[in-house]
Amino acid sequence: MSIKHARTTLALTVAAGLTLAACGGGSPEAATAEPAEASPLDTVGIEELHTQAQEEGEVRVYAFTSRIASVEKAFEETYPGVDLIPTDISSTEQIARLKAEATAGTTTADVAYLSDAPVVLTDLMSEGLLTNYVPPRVAEALPKEFAEPLVANRLSTKTLMYNEEAHPDGAPVTNLWELTGDEWKGRVVMVDPQVRGDYLDLATEVVLRADEMAAAYEELNGSAIALDEGVNNAGEQWLKDLYANDLVLVDDTDTVNAAIGETGQKNPPIGFTSYSDRRDNEDEGWALQAATGVAPAPGIAFPALLAVTKDAENPAAARLLIDFLMGDDSETGGAGFEPFYVAGDYPTRTDVLAPEGAVSLEELGAWSIDPAQVAEIRSDVADYLLTLS
Amino acid sequence: MPSDTLKRTLRDPVVLLALGLLAVLAVLVLVPVAGLVSSTLRPEGLDAWRDVLTGRLAPALLHEPLLNSLLVGAVTAIGAVVIGGGLAWVVVMTDVPLRRTITFLASVPFALPSFALALAWESVFRNDLVGGRVGLLTDLGLTVPDWLAWGPVPVSATLIAHYYSLSFLLTAAALATVNSELVEAAELTGASRLRVARSIALPVVLPAVISGALLAFAEGVSNFAAPAVLGLPVRFHTLSTRAYGAITTGQTERGYVLSVVLVVVAAIVLLVSTRLAGRRKSFATITGKGARRKRVRLGAARLPVTAAVLLLVALTSIVPGLLLLTSSLLERTGSFTSGFTTHFWTGASDPSMAQGMAGILRNPQIVSAFWTTLALGLSVAVAASVLGLLLGYVMTRLRPADPLQAGLGKGLALLSYLPFLVPGVALGAAFIAQFGRPIGPLPALYGTFAILVIAGVAATLPFASQAGRSAVGQISPDVEEAATTAGAGLGRRLFSIVLPLSSRGLLAGGVLVFVNIVRDLSLLVLLVTPATPLLSVLTYRYASEGFTQFANAVTVVIVVISLAATLFARRLEGASQPWLEER
Repeated sequence: MSIKHARTTLALTVAAGLTLAACGGGSPEAATAEPAEASPLDTVGIEELHTQAQEEGEVRVYAFTSRIASVEKAFEETYPGVDLIPTDISSTEQIARLKAEATAGTTTADVAYLSDAPVVLTDLMSEGLLTNYVPPRVAEALPKEFAEPLVANRLSTKTLMYNEEAHPDGAPVTNLWELTGDEWKGRVVMVDPQVRGDYLDLATEVVLRADEMAAAYEELNGSAIALDEGVNNAGEQWLKDLYANDLVLVDDTDTVNAAIGETGQKNPPIGFTSYSDRRDNEDEGWALQAATGVAPAPGIAFPALLAVTKDAENPAAARLLIDFLMGDDSETGGAGFEPFYVAGDYPTRTDVLAPEGAVSLEELGAWSIDPAQVAEIRSDVADYLLTLS
Repeated sequence: MPSDTLKRTLRDPVVLLALGLLAVLAVLVLVPVAGLVSSTLRPEGLDAWRDVLTGRLAPALLHEPLLNSLLVGAVTAIGAVVIGGGLAWVVVMTDVPLRRTITFLASVPFALPSFALALAWESVFRNDLVGGRVGLLTDLGLTVPDWLAWGPVPVSATLIAHYYSLSFLLTAAALATVNSELVEAAELTGASRLRVARSIALPVVLPAVISGALLAFAEGVSNFAAPAVLGLPVRFHTLSTRAYGAITTGQTERGYVLSVVLVVVAAIVLLVSTRLAGRRKSFATITGKGARRKRVRLGAARLPVTAAVLLLVALTSIVPGLLLLTSSLLERTGSFTSGFTTHFWTGASDPSMAQGMAGILRNPQIVSAFWTTLALGLSVAVAASVLGLLLGYVMTRLRPADPLQAGLGKGLALLSYLPFLVPGVALGAAFIAQFGRPIGPLPALYGTFAILVIAGVAATLPFASQAGRSAVGQISPDVEEAATTAGAGLGRRLFSIVLPLSSRGLLAGGVLVFVNIVRDLSLLVLLVTPATPLLSVLTYRYASEGFTQFANAVTVVIVVISLAATLFARRLEGASQPWLEER
């Protein structure tokens, strides 16, 4: 390669590089939130959706659970001619990806199936990146809070769990305030709310339910709660006392499960995790059990959301899939709902029976979060927790 | 006339090449980082800056995590260099036996994911702070204090175990080029071994040592897995756990601000270290003369040194490797007493196990991910090595006396060091934004194999450029000057002189890139589509769903691929690891 030749090549490289740099979007522009227009597809029947979906040929879904893989076969058998292409990717990454895709003006998914409702509602809905579709077939059986602003097909939990081998007579705790006492010093485990959103939602709900927390305090101690200086309510006081009681923070739920559930422990800790993880007891040698009858509540229940993405390339197939994931007309929701029909998770549809092997949501007594309310004060609670740790 | 000087400078092919590379790095690094910075300059971002820098949250968000990050980074860098460098000296310069075995084992820790080393630490030192299963020592009835089980000590120790390996490989390659005629001359004049090491070997290996230290430092400050697993239980936070936490809990701007802080800190460290290194001129050792080896006789120290070295490499490679393999064979996650099964490798679908998922070797997705991973690793290794060679060449040949050239060199060094420090999610999102739409005549790359390669090259640039720099840095400019006098152009010199003479260092660098890309890369999680499945993404997926054994089994496959690549490269090198030869 002569120098001259080299120089030409380099000049081209430079030019190409600069063009790329100039075109590459660095900063995502804030999309203006415009109310999504109702699509005519929102009201058509299943047969019509299927016909149109067949023309589209495929539907691509981001799902926060690998169980989507088992839906693929069932969906394609029920609706021949529509190829389901799943990508499992965590809620956090879905949010980052959907935002980045919007900046680039491209979409690679038609349907998003994700949790982290408070972030989804503030970050994605407000920018119009997701639109709601309530399948007309199930609309009647769906309570309003699970139909708007986005449809939810089930609820998961972060709730107080204990080791039933060590406590065969039931939960060792009947009031959340007991966790701030000497008996549980250094023996309450949870995932750091600064690292995982669903645990931050739990902490936020405690603050939102400050009045109930105050009542529970009085119930346990016989006297009204006295707040420390700088603490605004009983919810914040509980968090402060819990942190001061050597709360153990870890990085993921399985660590919590193993710490609490491991059999053969003399003095196992207690902590917050997913009720549905109890299904792994046998596989893993755990003795996890959910605490019921805890005042004012043992934890939270939060929705798994389904949405059509902005500018979805396969809008009919997207709606067909959401309809499928809401379950069929049988008591257990059928093939589309089967992978999510797990004891400790709760179907949102009132006409689908809760799976056996777990107490009902009412009996569990967990707070069902209102994502919009949680979203409002969530970052304040995160900041408050920062001052504690 | 200044304009004449400028013209002459711009006619210099090295400067032109540097400008070209700058443009490439602009696309790969500058634009994503600029996107990161600019997103912190919008109103919410400015609020985040205020929160991080001042006020009641600053201690928890910035002060403590920053100190912790610097502590872990510095300890990791020093530990990795002392252990890796010491090991390299023993293997290359002395008559220690089993050099091949030691070299192989010492390259294992880098191929292991950092969580495997954290797992190994836990299985020995874990105490009853968290609850559940305890480690070996507590099991034996010993009391393990919290500082040994959790926090900065175990975090730094696992990262050192991970990164001394890298320092060893870079330093060994450099030490092998030490001119033994000089060593002999020094010994003849009565210089002590220490003196030889300090005055002759050290200056030669300094670039490699500094490269190793910089990479270890960057990993120390940016690693997430080790502080998350071993630090959180005692509320030990680093900038990376804070940044990651902020992003996952929806406070994206705050996470980006913390990342920018991390980038700035690392930039300062880089500039200071290049200034320190810059004082010592000329490390050139490949002078065109043949160098014969003469090994230092360890004498009576041979046995204890051998034992210590073997213990070190075994503890950091065989122990965690076996733990990883064994954990993929456990019936119950993490329980070494409740029975073993090969179900997670070869088992057919069984509804009573792992929610009916078949073993990984029966999973067609794994097979396709295997090939995609291999193809990606090779493409990225080749592309990054070429880029690394050019970067290394340019950075060592630009004249620091000329302010323009000095600036160019610093800019290139900085840009090629940064990608390490940007959290994967942020970098991945920037890449989608950058390549998600058609650019002029180029189609949108998002969703293609190409974008994975591009992102992979960007993410592994720190390895490639450091390897390129320490490889080219040893080639004496005299050799090239001779070629120039004989009329060879830049291209000719690069292909006929620089490439062959730096091939050993480059190959080592290429393997590092390959290993890093097949291992774990959070950035790729954001970019893969069903058309491009990758093993690392599958482990991530399994792990996040609680299928620990599947995740570990796939990780074992990744480690095997990495080690096979290392061995293959060594075979390719053939005689180019002369320190292994007996004499």
